[in-house]
Amino acid sequence: MPLIDPSVVDLSRLQFALTALYHFLFVPLTLGMTFLLAAMETVYVITGKQIYKDMTQFWGKLFAINFAIGVATGLTMEFEFGTNWSMYSHFVGDVFGTPLAIEGLMAFFMESTFIGLMFFGWDRLSRPGHLAVTYLTALGSNLSALWILVANGFMQNPQGASFNPDTMRMEFNSFLKLVFSEDAQAKFVHTSIAGFVTGALFVMGISAFYILRKQHRELAARSFRMAALFGIISSLAVVTLGDALGRLDYLVQPTKIAAIEGLWQDSAANGSAASAPWLLFALPDQAKQTNYAEIGVPYVLDPLIAHSFNTNIPGLISLEQQAGPRIAKGIVALNALQAYGKDHDAAALATFKANESDMGYGFLAQRYAPNQDLNLITPANQGAIIAQAEKDTIPNVPVTFWSFRIMMALGFFFVGLFAFAAFYSLKNQLERHPLLLKLCVWSIPLPILACEFGWITAEAGRQPWSVYGYLPTFQAASSHGLGYMVFSLIGFALLYSAFIAAELYLMFKFARLGPQPHHAAAPEATPAPMFATPAE
Amino acid sequence: MELYVVLKVIWAVLLGVLLSGLAVMVGMDMGVGSLLRFVGRNDVERRVALNIIGPHWDGNQVWFILGGGAIFAAFPTLYATSFSVFYVVMILLLFSMIMRPVAFEYRSKVDAGKWRGTWDWAFLISGAVPMIVYGAAFGNVMQGVGYHYGWDGQYYQDESFIWYLLNPFALMCGVMSLALSIQQGGTMLMLRGEQPIYGRARKAAIGGGLVGGILFLAGGLWLGHLTGFAYTSAVDPNAAATPLTGPSVAPVVGAWMHNYASYPLLWVLPALGLVGMFGAALLNLAGKPVLAWWLGAIGWIGAIFTTGASMFPFLMPSTTNPSQSLTVWNASGSEYNLGWMLFFALVFTPIIICYTSWCFYVMRGKVKASAVAHDEHSY
Amino acid sequence: MGKLFTFVGLGVVLALALLLAVVAGDYGPWYFAWIVGTVMIVLIAGCGAVMYDAQHENGTGEI
Repeated sequence: MPLIDPSVVDLSRLQFALTALYHFLFVPLTLGMTFLLAAMETVYVITGKQIYKDMTQFWGKLFAINFAIGVATGLTMEFEFGTNWSMYSHFVGDVFGTPLAIEGLMAFFMESTFIGLMFFGWDRLSRPGHLAVTYLTALGSNLSALWILVANGFMQNPQGASFNPDTMRMEFNSFLKLVFSEDAQAKFVHTSIAGFVTGALFVMGISAFYILRKQHRELAARSFRMAALFGIISSLAVVTLGDALGRLDYLVQPTKIAAIEGLWQDSAANGSAASAPWLLFALPDQAKQTNYAEIGVPYVLDPLIAHSFNTNIPGLISLEQQAGPRIAKGIVALNALQAYGKDHDAAALATFKANESDMGYGFLAQRYAPNQDLNLITPANQGAIIAQAEKDTIPNVPVTFWSFRIMMALGFFFVGLFAFAAFYSLKNQLERHPLLLKLCVWSIPLPILACEFGWITAEAGRQPWSVYGYLPTFQAASSHGLGYMVFSLIGFALLYSAFIAAELYLMFKFARLGPQPHHAAAPEATPAPMFATPAE
Repeated sequence: MELYVVLKVIWAVLLGVLLSGLAVMVGMDMGVGSLLRFVGRNDVERRVALNIIGPHWDGNQVWFILGGGAIFAAFPTLYATSFSVFYVVMILLLFSMIMRPVAFEYRSKVDAGKWRGTWDWAFLISGAVPMIVYGAAFGNVMQGVGYHYGWDGQYYQDESFIWYLLNPFALMCGVMSLALSIQQGGTMLMLRGEQPIYGRARKAAIGGGLVGGILFLAGGLWLGHLTGFAYTSAVDPNAAATPLTGPSVAPVVGAWMHNYASYPLLWVLPALGLVGMFGAALLNLAGKPVLAWWLGAIGWIGAIFTTGASMFPFLMPSTTNPSQSLTVWNASGSEYNLGWMLFFALVFTPIIICYTSWCFYVMRGKVKASAVAHDEHSY
Repeated sequence: MGKLFTFVGLGVVLALALLLAVVAGDYGPWYFAWIVGTVMIVLIAGCGAVMYDAQHENGTGEI
């Protein structure tokens, strides 16, 4: 049997991470700006003031530049599950593919159909009609995020499926468990609202730029006000949900939370009371399993994560040790499974069933078995193989630790920024605080950065698993050759660089240009009554 | 028949429906993309052509995404294997699919000849390449692909992709698919375009229909001499869905005609295809693009279901280990999953059809050059 | 007659909203929070704009 090439796996991971992070540069803005546009248009429809229509159209134009590339690059993710993660698709497609298909049916169709009307339908729809279209677009894009994160929730905390030894894959058995998985719920709200923050800061920053330059004041001041209020609530909600996710990780992904906190020893290691500090700063050393230059706040780790004062949070060292026996049982499970696959032997099935819960740990060992064949593991080499596999059971600590900290620091920064911005906007004193306005302008890319680091925290922290506890990332990859990976990576690099250059060029061009006065030929000079029928 | 078998068959038919929807709707947009540089001789004409599908291309593209998602969920093993086996082709398809949305949004945002000229080429590439690939994939799958599975369900590729690409039958299918997309795109341009776009699109659409029809006919005659695949032992459609164990399969010349011999009623499908393609060409000749559009769609549906009917229940046969060939019976999802998916499809498909039609209704009428130049939202 | 339709229509929307709230509140508390929260965020942002218009009705220049 051909072997899985570790460099193919690494390059597949690199490609998926790069394309996902790239896609995720554009998604949060879409999630947030659609609702912000809907809010602006709502004010237009209710008050009938032209300025709010101008606002909706101007921000809509910037939004469109972003939207196209977001949609286009989303396709890549769907493809890559099949092209690069073949074993993954086979192993969990029965449950993981379903939310993706429903996403297409329920959300993506809605978003994509109505976005056409949103841009092209201004003169063909009544005002409430167009408003409804805008809301449907916003709802569609966020529903789309919902189903994607339901799928992701399954990778983080697999619920709603069980392994079927007859088909050698996970099979779907509970729709409700899948959709109402706590991870999916909290992750969706966290991500969607993080998008709201991104959209709000984008609009607020560009408005601040205009206010500083004393351009387009009517539009900028109103946009600033709306975005600041939109942002302050959203940024608070993001922090709340972040806390919920942390607690959830403690419950279902102990290795992830320990890596996030750089927790090598158990939190109650020295004595009965949990006294571990929450680390503000540290330089984790994966090889030596310790941190350098720790600066932390003592005693707060437990209440922060577990919401309790006397729970022991297991550290990475003990988590790694606990994995050893599970790997040994996993090897037994997989060998029994393979035997069952050959001749449907009932005894083999019984052995498999007895060790099924550790099956995924067996896959971890497969990588280090001679010829990647579990049958060749003997009592003589088993110890060394388990020791190697054990090391794999904890994620990359420095990466997880720091991406989490950067994301979190940015999150709290946004709360502060929006608080000041909303306060001075409500008091009409923005122009007296040019420094705040400048800070707003320079902060435009920061929420996107925070979202990227959030993705890294969630997905790097999930390693070594692609489906937590069931299927390691190494085992999930397609079995093709290195040449394929080189080909596609070069292609992505070229294409994506060209796109980002074009996108930034256009974004800067149109943001600098600002809202344009209407063409003389533009119809609808007189505001139509509230429930007017479309003019032909 | 057991519920599971019924669900498998329903999803096989739905797979055909999705592939047809994709071909008709996305193919139409791609046809416009391929034709862009030829029907539009100056910038305003090209912008008119783009704005004809401007409000719809995004929604149409979802057929493609939905097609992928539905195969992923309803036939997970087929998804896992076909996308990997056709890696290079799939990545090329992906590149052109992501080039297109960006081209739409960015092309007309900058008023410079070089910028727009570059994006016009992007339209040509991202219109023609995916359609050729789409057709060629059908051609390749019909001839079988070299792969087998390890004990855990991991696929292993036994042949380089070059051997799939360089084969005359697949290339012919690719050209046919391109021709049909040009027919559909040209018809759409006639529907909402005025002279001179109308006249040029009409020529292209007629040509596309004729070429498509002739190649379809040729492909049908060729099919009888191709090596198909057939079961050589008893089949249990209700069996657990896995290609690892199952009935044995052997390559047989002319096997793809067996279903037509057993069920002569199936001849309706190729007949529909031919009537659709040639009929649409005739109607375009007569200047009736609305009817021609619908007949063109029937042509696509006929062609795709003809292929499906001749291969059924095979989805993607394996040349190197025929007994592990993927079929409707052994590549499908679990009964529970297929049931839920069917529920969602039944609820949402009518809704999608309703609002898509409403969207076309709202945006009906001819696209005028003057309107395109004045509307700041236009492409 | 038109009014009756309006009332029936609004009644149906209300009933659906209640049903959604009950189901979402029971099974998906975070989903429910998202629905309520998003509506609130949009409304508050809208109110901010209306408030801005009221503040500047008499033509004060500062923003």
